[in-house]
Amino acid sequence: GVAPLGPISLSKDNHYQQAMLEACYRHMPHPSDAERLRHYLPRNPCPTPVYYHQSPLPHHDTIDFYLRLSTETLFFIFYYMEATKAQYMAAKALKKQSWRFHTKYMMWFQRHEEPKTITDEYEQGTYIYFDYEKWGQRKKEGFTFEYRYLEDRELQ
Amino acid sequence: DKAPGGPTHMMHSGISQAREFDDPPGLHEKTEYLLREWVNIYHSPTSGRDSTRGFSAFVQQMHQQGILRTDDLITRFFRLCTEMCVDLTYRLLQESNVSPSLLNPTLVRAKCFHTLDAFVRLITLLVKHSGDAVNSVTKINLLNKVLGIVVGVLLQDHDTRQTEYHQMPYHRIFIMLFYELNAPEHVLESINFQTLTAFTNTYHILRPSKAPGFAFAWLEVVSYRAFISRMLLHTPQQKGWPMYAQLLIDLFKFLAPFLRNVELTKSIQILYRGTLRLLLVLLHDFPEFLCDYHYGFCDVIPANCIQLRNLILSAFPRNMRLPDPFTPNLKVDMLQEINVAPRILTNFVAVMSQPFQQDLDSYLKTRAPVTFLSDLRSNLQVSNETGLTYNVPLINSVVMYVGTQAISYIHNKGGTPSMATITHSSHMDIFQNLAVDLDTEGRYLFLNAIANQLRYPNSHTHYFSCTLLYLFAEANQESIQEQITRVLLERLIVNRPHPWGLLITFIELIKNPNFKFWNHEFVHCAPEISKLFDSVARSCMGKQFN
Repeated sequence: GVAPLGPISLSKDNHYQQAMLEACYRHMPHPSDAERLRHYLPRNPCPTPVYYHQSPLPHHDTIDFYLRLSTETLFFIFYYMEATKAQYMAAKALKKQSWRFHTKYMMWFQRHEEPKTITDEYEQGTYIYFDYEKWGQRKKEGFTFEYRYLEDRELQ
Repeated sequence: DKAPGGPTHMMHSGISQAREFDDPPGLHEKTEYLLREWVNIYHSPTSGRDSTRGFSAFVQQMHQQGILRTDDLITRFFRLCTEMCVDLTYRLLQESNVSPSLLNPTLVRAKCFHTLDAFVRLITLLVKHSGDAVNSVTKINLLNKVLGIVVGVLLQDHDTRQTEYHQMPYHRIFIMLFYELNAPEHVLESINFQTLTAFTNTYHILRPSKAPGFAFAWLEVVSYRAFISRMLLHTPQQKGWPMYAQLLIDLFKFLAPFLRNVELTKSIQILYRGTLRLLLVLLHDFPEFLCDYHYGFCDVIPANCIQLRNLILSAFPRNMRLPDPFTPNLKVDMLQEINVAPRILTNFVAVMSQPFQQDLDSYLKTRAPVTFLSDLRSNLQVSNETGLTYNVPLINSVVMYVGTQAISYIHNKGGTPSMATITHSSHMDIFQNLAVDLDTEGRYLFLNAIANQLRYPNSHTHYFSCTLLYLFAEANQESIQEQITRVLLERLIVNRPHPWGLLITFIELIKNPNFKFWNHEFVHCAPEISKLFDSVARSCMGKQFN
């Protein structure tokens, strides 16, 4: 560096500031300090070798990217990344693939076949659903999907 | 605003009340009990997504405990809560220091946030529900009061703990509170501008020169995505711009003595890098903001911070297409934009004292008395200490003022600024006198003040570009020409970006044979300088000069 006007003598205040800044540098803000608490997947920075990807692929936050993910990945994002844009994108991708969210069971359902009965209040038939406790897809025959539990908000 | 009962007054009373410890007996226990209760409610799934259901029951409890009886008790309640949150943070951090293997940092933070986030939600809800729905005054006052209390506790903590001070709990409170208060809800949106004002005042009070131990968190909150977009994008009529500019000036002022001295300790380097990143974001997303406030920023950035200043001076309005400076035979005076004045949102006249400005005005008008010119140098001097001889803001102010006066003078005569029209006037007298009469230090600052106006195509850029070239052409000593070259060159040999007007001026200087640039001794004074000019000339013109 060049100081064309030459150095000036630092004031007492400046020295104090420098010392406080140096102390503050020992415990820098952590990335998680400025974001909502992540319950399941907290940030855990660690040194990664440079020959590994240091940042996600470009366009990883688009719906096209999410549509290429497996349903299990989408369920994982949905349940383990609550209240994030990722969760929103996963829900959107699941809906596009004809999964419907049941607000009472808090699980995703997909018609296995055309429902046997369809009324204004419900539909009944065989469904595939994702059980987040057993962590796998299950089949349920003769299930009644009441429409009042259908999450049907339009996701833009 | 500063009147008793106004928001600023509320904040300052909050700050001073953070130092009142004579709490009535039992209040500490009550607060502790209530805070614990609230943390449980906040984390209980039955409270609803924004804790509203749990909140009404909790307010009942606050009533029963008598907290809501007087403003004084509420204030004390918030102060005690803040202190408890902070103490908890210190305790947890201490524990993790003692047995780092048992408690990983992520877990420690999660534990801290457990309480801090709950406290923040409580503040949000109390602000939202204070007074009736349309009464924004009580809400704003409460918000300012609480922010004042947090600021007061922070400063107290900072001053007592000194180097053991920790910025995290406060950082978390500010970030989360800002996040919560900017939720898309009507009540909050109706007070959004006052919320932004309150946060700006908070951050201004906590600027790095006042709370250096908070500096890194401070830079984080100021560069926080949501904060920038609220301040510079979503607030109508650009009302957030002057507030944000003030915070940037606070940052530059703090860095100035260290950068000037090139005293770059590790911590200063990190803060400097953060500043560069913030400026890059602003240059990319809000170039007009940097354009409008470039004067105020350059006033406080030390002369040797070339790249920092180039970032600001390279900003130009997004709807503008800049002609490539390397185009052969580019006719700058043919550009439409060259007649349009840029917006300068800093009051650059204010630095001049009233009598000085009067003398200056009268000289500009009458070109007399000549003593004005001979006194000018001593008017700009403030001390005899090398490196601190001059009043830099005053030099900047005089250069800018005389320049803008000259432009309107030429316009009034029906002309446009050019190499021919800028000469032989009271304005040019002043500039030529400064170039000749000042010593090396003064001239360096003077030429820098001119070079700071060489930006995107506009009337200032054009005028000052002509002025600099004219000063070069008319110089009676080679040292002036050498210094002009130095000021231009040192701004070009750093990494990009480079301001458009700067390139234009330099290319004109080395290309136009009238300036006989290549005949000067300083161009060939040392082999590495010759080589440097060669390489600059090559990159500017695509051919070799010698």
